[in-house]
Amino acid sequence: MFRTTLPRLARHLVYSAPRYQAPIARPIARSSLFQSTRITPTSTAFQAARCYSASAGLSHEEVQGRIMDLLKNFDKVQDVSKLNGESHFHNDLGLDSLDTVEVVMAIEEEFSIEIPDKEADAIHSIKQAVDYILAQPDAH
Amino acid sequence: MTSTNPVLRQQVKRVYKELLYMGREYPQGYDFFKTRLHKAFISQQHLSDEEEIKKRLQRADFVRKEIEALYYLKKYRSMRHRYDAF
Repeated sequence: MFRTTLPRLARHLVYSAPRYQAPIARPIARSSLFQSTRITPTSTAFQAARCYSASAGLSHEEVQGRIMDLLKNFDKVQDVSKLNGESHFHNDLGLDSLDTVEVVMAIEEEFSIEIPDKEADAIHSIKQAVDYILAQPDAH
Repeated sequence: MTSTNPVLRQQVKRVYKELLYMGREYPQGYDFFKTRLHKAFISQQHLSDEEEIKKRLQRADFVRKEIEALYYLKKYRSMRHRYDAF
């Protein structure tokens, strides 16, 4: 009887145990036999996991870099050399108000948020866009 | 487009955005659609009369519905083609 239950128990343990398990939640039935096959989680593995509800915690540089990359690939930007953190869409980059709508659309997609019309109207420069994104907790 | 009325301005931008979203699936490609749309909007830039702008906004909405109808027709045709195979 013991011979049949042991493999079954082993199989059960291996399949039921989640890959990364908190030390507190480990099953009590532990045997030295299974220790070698079990993946022992290190503390760094826990650090890497984050709750999806938590805010992404975007840094200023990252947001600015992503917006600048997006504008760099925008074919209507005439003078890429004028592109910096302070660039104004109309005055520096030569975009009209319709192009600005397109840029805002692209920003919306890049950070997976939706910018209401009123706020979108107020975005005229890279700096304003960065500030707006940083103020949004659900931007990614 | 350069109306002094901010409400109308916002409406124009909104309809432009909606049309851009619609144009993603345009048969001749998004870029084709985008440039044409931009040209169509910028050609009406000089308008300043509110009534006139409202009329153009209605036209833009009409175009949006037309594009939607076009997509439905395209879908219908491809479905029919798959079932009938003619």
